[in-house]
Order: sequence, then C-alpha cells, then structure tokens
Amino acid sequence: MVSGSEIERHDTDILILGTGGAGLFAALHAQQSAPEGTRITIAVKGLIGKCGCTRMVQGGYNVALGGGDTVERHFMDTINGGKWLPNQDMAWRLCKEAVVRIHELENEIGCFFDRNEDGTLHQKAFAGQTADRTVHKGDLTGIEIINRLMEQVLARPVEKLEEHRAIGLIPSRDGAAISGVLMIDMRSGKFRFVRAKTVLMATGGGPTMYKYHTPSGDKTMDGLAMALRAGLPLRDMEMVQFHPTGLLAGEHTRMTGTVLEEGLRGAGGQLVNHAGNRFMFDYDDKGERATRDVVSRGIFAEMRKNNDPTQEGVFISMGHLGPDNVRKKFKGMVKRCEDCGFDLAAGKVEVVPTAHYFMGGVVVDVDTRTSLEGLYVAGEDAGGAHGSNRLGGNGVANSTVYGGIAGDIMGADIRNMASLREPDETVLASEISRAVHPFSREPGLVLPLRKELQEAMWEDVGVMRTATGMNRGLAKIADISDRLMETGVSGDNLAFNLTWHDWLNLRSLCDVSQVIAQAGMARENSRGAHYREDFPDAGDMADSYFTQARQTGDGVEVTREPVQFTIVKPGETILPKDEPETLVAAE
Amino acid sequence: MDQKDNTLKVTVSRGTSGEQFEQEFEVPAYENQTVLDVVSWIQQNSDPTLSYRFACRVGMCGSCAMMVNGEPRWTCRTHVKKVVRKNTLSIAPLRNLPVVKDLAADMTPFFDKWVDAEGYHHPTRTRHDPMQEVTPNDEERNRANAGIECINCAVCYAACDTVANNDAYLGPAALQRAWTLYNDQKNENGQAILDAVSRDGGCHSCHSMGSCSLYCPNELDPMSAIAGLKRETAKNLFRRRR
Repeated sequence: MVSGSEIERHDTDILILGTGGAGLFAALHAQQSAPEGTRITIAVKGLIGKCGCTRMVQGGYNVALGGGDTVERHFMDTINGGKWLPNQDMAWRLCKEAVVRIHELENEIGCFFDRNEDGTLHQKAFAGQTADRTVHKGDLTGIEIINRLMEQVLARPVEKLEEHRAIGLIPSRDGAAISGVLMIDMRSGKFRFVRAKTVLMATGGGPTMYKYHTPSGDKTMDGLAMALRAGLPLRDMEMVQFHPTGLLAGEHTRMTGTVLEEGLRGAGGQLVNHAGNRFMFDYDDKGERATRDVVSRGIFAEMRKNNDPTQEGVFISMGHLGPDNVRKKFKGMVKRCEDCGFDLAAGKVEVVPTAHYFMGGVVVDVDTRTSLEGLYVAGEDAGGAHGSNRLGGNGVANSTVYGGIAGDIMGADIRNMASLREPDETVLASEISRAVHPFSREPGLVLPLRKELQEAMWEDVGVMRTATGMNRGLAKIADISDRLMETGVSGDNLAFNLTWHDWLNLRSLCDVSQVIAQAGMARENSRGAHYREDFPDAGDMADSYFTQARQTGDGVEVTREPVQFTIVKPGETILPKDEPETLVAAE
Repeated sequence: MDQKDNTLKVTVSRGTSGEQFEQEFEVPAYENQTVLDVVSWIQQNSDPTLSYRFACRVGMCGSCAMMVNGEPRWTCRTHVKKVVRKNTLSIAPLRNLPVVKDLAADMTPFFDKWVDAEGYHHPTRTRHDPMQEVTPNDEERNRANAGIECINCAVCYAACDTVANNDAYLGPAALQRAWTLYNDQKNENGQAILDAVSRDGGCHSCHSMGSCSLYCPNELDPMSAIAGLKRETAKNLFRRRR
C-alpha cells in the first residue's frame, strides 16, 4: 500500500490544471501580471494543448465586432439562449471581454481567422444568434486557437507537468484555503503533491457518461468530481447539452458519438427517419435548422418510434445538394466519414444526439474566485455564464475570456499571499487511499461498467427526462458505483497504467452522474437543455431559479436558488428601442 | 465468413526504449473498426497493462499516431480494412522518438524542436490595436495558409529518414511551421527564423526525400515548405555577404 512517504512533494506559486483555452490563457496572463520570479506550473492529464476540447472546436468564436452588432446584442442573445438562467454579470463580462480576447488572439498569439474580401474578419451566424458574430478559421477554429496558444506557452519558462492527472484538491490545515493539488504522474504512476498559493481548475467538463458523447477521450469530469469532494457548491448540474448529429458507427468503435458539424444542417442537410421520411418539420417550423436542443429532442422522439432493432438512429442526407458541392464545402467532414467507411457526400450517414457540453459547474464570481480561498475556476468547469443552454460559439469565447481573467487575478492576488499553506494531511491521505482502492480488490473489467453507466444515463437522465426515469437512473448509478468499488485493478506496474485511469475516470463519472440526476429531479420544469416530459412547461421566467448542489456527509443536497436579474429582467431588453430583432439576413 | 476471418492477428510492440519486445494478440474483427479500436480492445479486454495515447478520436489532436505495418499513421482515422494484410496487423510506437511505454512515444524532442525553429508568433501588434487587414488573394498569406492546418501529430517526423540519421535535425513539422511564420506578414522575426533554420540540423539537412509530404494525413507539403526555407536562407546569405 502506498504511504505518505511515497508522495513526491513539489512547490510552485501559481498552479494551473488543464491546457485548453482557459488553462493556456491563464498561464500567459499570469506570467504578464504576477511579480517577477513567480513560479508558474501548468499540469495536464494528456499532452499540452493536445488533449481536451478547445482543440475540437469547429464552429468558431462569438464576439461583437461592429457592423451593427454590439456587446449588448451578444449579451441579450446569450441570456435568451440560456433561457434567463445565466448569471448576468458573468454573461456580460464574457461578451464584453471577448472583444479584447479576439484581438489578443489575432495580434499577440498569432491566430489567423478567415477574412472578408476587404480584409476584415469574416463572421457568420449560428442558430440562436441575431447577428453575424462567429469568427472562425474554416471549420477547424479550435486547432488554430490551441496550436498558437500551445506554442506561446511551450516557448515560455512555465513549468510543464504533462500526463499528470489531478485527483484531489487539498485544503490547508485550517480548511480555510487551498494548499495544493494531489496528482498522479501517469508516466511513472507515482503520486505528486504540488503546493501552490493559487490554483486554477480549468480541466474542462465533458459529459462522457452518456452512451453517445463528443468530448475528447481523456475527459471524465474529474474537475467537478474533485470540487464536489472539496465541498464547493456546483450550479446548473442538470444542464447537459446534446449535439443533434453524432456519428453512429457501432459500439466497438471510438468514432461513435463524434460530431458531424452543425453547418451540415445549416447548409440544407436533411434528417430522415427509419421509414425514409423527413420529420423535423413535425417538431419545429425551422425544421432541421432549429436549435440544437430542439433537433436533439426531435431525433430522440423518432428513435423511440422505431421498432427496427438493426437501426438505432436517424440519417443525415446531403446528396440532394450535389455530392461534388458537399465534398467541396465540407471537405473535412466528408473525409472523416470516408475514413470510417461512410459516404456523406452522396449517401446517408446514421446519426444520433450526442452529449456535447456541460453548462453546469462550480459557482464562481466574475473574477473566477470560488468560496475556497486560493482556488479559481474557469472554462467548462465553471457554471453560470451559459445558464440552461450554451450558444454555439460561446464555449471557446468563455474559456479564453475567463482563463485570461483568472491569470490576471491570480497574478494580482498572489501579491497578498505571503506563503504556501501546509496541507490537511488527513485529506491528503484519504485522497490517496481513494485512488489506490482498486489495488485491494480482485482485478476485473472496468469497461462493461462504464458501458452500463452510459446506457443508464442515456436512457434515464438523457435528452428527455421524467421523475420515474431519473429515480431509476439514480438506483442504477448507485449499483454501478458499488460494483466499481468491488472491481479491482492490478497494481503490479503503475507506469502509464490506463486501466487504473479507466477506473478513476469511471469513479469521477459515477460521482458526477449522481449529481446530474439529482439536479434534474430538483428542476421541475423544462428549460433549454433540460426537458422534463412530466413538467414540459418552462415555468415563469420572473421566478427563475437555478439548482445548486453540494456534498453533505455521504450525500448530495440540491437546493433552488433564485436567479438575480442584475442587468435585465425577463420581458425586457437592454437594446435601444428602435433596434431590429435580428440583423441576420433571412435565407 | 469463417472464424479465421473474424479474428485479427495483431503484433504489438511492448516495453520502453532499449527494452522493447513484441507480443501477439487475437482481436475480434468488426465493421467500422479503426486501428485505435484494435489497440483499445486489447487494453480493455485482453491485457490491461497495454499503454498507448489518444484524445480526440477524430483526427484533430494528433495524439494517437503510431507505426502501423511499419508506416506512421493516425490510428483513430485509419480503418483496419485499409491496412490489414491477411488478417494481420503490426503496431509500434512512432519512430524517431523515445518510447515512454509500449505504444506511447515521448513527444518532447519534437516540441522542443518546434520552439527551436522559432515556431511561435512574434507579435507586431497588441490587443489594443486594430487587426491587420489581409485580403484573401494575398500571395504571402496564401503561402502561409498552405501549412497552417498542421496538427503537430509527428507523423512526418516519424516518416523522415533524415531525422532517423541526424538527432539534431529539426524535422519537417518544425520547419514547415517556421516557413508558415516567415510568410505571415503579422509576424516580426523573419531574420530570427532564417537564423534558426540555417544552423546545423536546419533546413539544409533535408535531402528532399519527400516522406513527410507523402505521409502527412492532412495532405500538407512540408517538403515544399523546406524548399522555400532553403531558397530564402540562401538568398539571405548572399545578401549578408554583399
């Protein structure tokens, strides 16, 4: 068994967990704002900039850059899209600061975004936007952003801990602040405890506890599971965004669940059911062009009507737009489908709604501070900016804006933090025993349990929910969780032991799944991504509440907190009176 | 199909640098199966100690490249059908890099060289300045765009025989990045780039064998980028002597 002496101890000043848009921006801004000589360390579960989801952004970056569009309009779209649940101060700062951040990305980081004929930035409109607002680099925007950020961080004297998995937020002895983070150096399998004056958690969300999911394979909600154990309040935990068109290629391939981009439907792609008929107009006047949540529910409903066991999903069909045209316009998507044996340009490809983004997260203030001194949270790990639904293009804006803010704030706050804090050794020991638990049990297969969890979440806590279903889901989660504790992993060689990490991944997913189901039970109405068949109404906007979950002893307690309309009240707008409803030209 | 056709015989490289050995596994064959799925199946069902690396699953992150039947490939986007020979596959870690364990290569030298080639933006403007206007038909920009979709997967680095024979060689990906930046009018350090790629192990080490351009999964052309650097560094030398 591992004892305390086998932990390597390491000190730094500013510790950043995660190397997506939030983590990398935090590292750069911390370096700019912290006093000279400040040690900055960045740790990541995979390789810097390579794992995580910022890199996977296809669509682009929402930012109001004139031409009639304003920060106010971007803000109103974000509030309307989030169905009045967003923390308005966070949403406002997101929209306002995005203007600075996009200039930083182009001018200082070196990104190059697509241009108009006149040399200015090209912007397009996604569903739910009232202006052409999304800056992009083809349909591979995330690669451009993360490659350029990664280079900047690699070239700077920032300490890098790659393939270091964070497993516990360790408080100080008096519990009043954070002391540091317990990690596993995945390459050696050894524990490393890193003390820091300030810690940014930017590990990304990634709801991979669903049968179909889009995020990167390393994403397993470790951040929120750690925050839960540290006693931090989490908000909007019922809000899981499903992307309507995930690739369906069979259970045995990791390709299943990956996204076929939104633009396919925008360009006129048709969704066809098992009987060969288009169906989206049965659900919404906008047909296939309706927002993600609406299309996901339409597909899910069609799937339930189908009794043919050989066909699970529905089909996306592009051929009527001309195969050559499709090949040209969606080169990357066509090639991706082709590589796994599907003809997107002329044939039809089976698709299914797929868990994409997690709106819920740690409760933070507009400066990314949490209720635990020294701990900051940014990006998908933080809740509040998107409310019940995130608009396409607001995700990478959120992570880069708040990552930068976290870097600035940590660089400033650290000036008032004289010394590192001694850890609560009891918590440290209990986090280690939690991690080594599987070595004390007979080795078994972890994967079948993960599949069971994914099936349970998809069936009972998924696109459409009921109290009966979620209660059933909770029972299944508890059972899977118990069986995981009896499933062992051989501890003979811990170096790069993926099976141990599969176990820890599933541990995080079980913990967070329970909170999703409980928060889903607590919200007895239907807003944005959360749809209750037994409570289909949205409820009165003026009485909007958000859910807040917190670990208490062995259980999780969920409360309802009133939304504070600090900037605009439901039914009102901050746009001038004569402003048109939308600036987007009708198609 | 008889039973034999339903099973793949897979030879997998195990161990760390200097202590590598091969191990055979039988893996069930499926429709829509990628090489990454084969590797995952072994770890999830047969040998839980097998180490490998992947992240995005769709050819965006460049974490999962390995040698498949001796050729560097993204395993997530390589359909088994495309590479299987008589129901057999051999899988090894990327060539030309140290091995962390089994199929996971240590990419540190690759990224160190990326930085050594000045492969990062040197700004001419700040976040408080307007953005540079660049028209789509700008020639310099089009030269820069040619290599911009590189995802640093190191497939070209593994394919390159010059890298195999010369530890100091920066390699195709880093040099292509340098060429992209050299043509980027927003980037300030043209001279620094030329200096960085003219040193020992720079662009003149390249013998134009072209494996980089042949194997790039994104169909980029690092060899032509390196040729561009060779031309510019030669011109630069001439200018300096004058």
